[in-house]
Amino acid sequence: MVNNESLENVVLELRRGVIVLAALSQLGNEEYGYSLLKKLADLGLEVDQGTLYPLLRRLEAQGLLESVWKLEESRPRRYYVVSAEGKKLLPKLKKEWAGIVSVMDKMLA
Amino acid sequence: MNLIDRYVAEVGKHLPLLKGREDIEKELKSTLEDMLEDRTQNTGRTRDEAMEIDLLKEYGSPQKVAQTYNPHPYLIGPKMFPFYLFVLKIVLTVVVSVMLVLAGVQAVTDTPFMGADFVKIIGQGLGSALSAAIAAFGNVTLVFVILERVLSDKEIGGFDDEKDWDPASLATEPDPDSVSRSELIFEIVFTFVALAILNVYPQWLGMFFFTGDEQVFIPMFTEKFFQFVPWINVVLIVEILLDIYLLRNAIWNRLTRLGKVVIEAASLTLTVLVVRTPGVIGFSAESFTNGPFQPEQAQVFVTIATYMFPVVMAIVIIIQSIELVKAVYRLFKMSGKTA
Repeated sequence: MVNNESLENVVLELRRGVIVLAALSQLGNEEYGYSLLKKLADLGLEVDQGTLYPLLRRLEAQGLLESVWKLEESRPRRYYVVSAEGKKLLPKLKKEWAGIVSVMDKMLA
Repeated sequence: MNLIDRYVAEVGKHLPLLKGREDIEKELKSTLEDMLEDRTQNTGRTRDEAMEIDLLKEYGSPQKVAQTYNPHPYLIGPKMFPFYLFVLKIVLTVVVSVMLVLAGVQAVTDTPFMGADFVKIIGQGLGSALSAAIAAFGNVTLVFVILERVLSDKEIGGFDDEKDWDPASLATEPDPDSVSRSELIFEIVFTFVALAILNVYPQWLGMFFFTGDEQVFIPMFTEKFFQFVPWINVVLIVEILLDIYLLRNAIWNRLTRLGKVVIEAASLTLTVLVVRTPGVIGFSAESFTNGPFQPEQAQVFVTIATYMFPVVMAIVIIIQSIELVKAVYRLFKMSGKTA
């Protein structure tokens, strides 16, 4: 019998693999960290803040995202959006993902 | 400074020293404010310290939050770790070997073969070797920790020889013809130290005694022994050259196996010649009596030296004979395999 902890760890690993694609796919328009977090949760992907924020910084360092600070409701917010390079990469990632889903569907059928 | 500000400042303290540290703090504060605003709207409660405490507990300890931004969670990363271990093994082998040899030389030359001083010097030598090993370990580790942090990911990737690995190398390095690098380095260090002592510091080969202000030195060997030194030098130098060649090639071939047989045979021949030459040992009743000893004590030392020399030389000859037999066996085994 698989214990809950093992199940949680495997699910966590599976989710971790898709967060990059999920974040890039939802940043066609500017979002700040917390709004992206809520957007992903509303779509059914719960992501920990401790995972998302460092990931956004890493993607920006890789040139796939751009960010800008804006002052809203007397509060500064950092907005992220997919960069030109990220836009080029996204269709390729989507294709890869479709391939993975197709293969896994066959395996799990 | 409210609770949120104190929390953000605490996270900042634990953040790694990377660019955009202030950005991270600013973004964290903004996120926490957004989350608190969400909670007030969803629950209808007004914001208070209890709500902030609940949120911060959920968000996690400042150390844990800061750690998520650490791009180098390792002291030495997995790409550099194998090379670190390789360097560490070499440095520790060399440092410990040199310290032990120095301690051995000091124990033999500065004191009689037995007694409290001898034990004390051996103890001090082992202590020094341990201290030197710990210091070397610390220094090598420190250098690699700094390299891990100052080199770019691409440069660190250069330490990973996974890309250059060729399965064909398995076929060219079959056991037992592959060489042991650590053994070779150990042998080179010891042979070099032996060369240095025989040629540069022959005065270390003996015993020192202090009688008042006067220093008395009793040499372990006579001039007759030093007539053999040029021949011993040739064998030791050829052995170092062979070891360096093997270190570079990483594999034994028939020529190097043959070379090893010649070196072992020459070493054994030289040892036998030294043993068979009368009067090579410098310790005599007369030399000890001139030192700070009574005639009875001197006689004890001479007896010990007289008995010890053949025993030590017999052990050396046995070891050299075994090494020669092993070298010949490996040469024939290799010839049989390739024939």
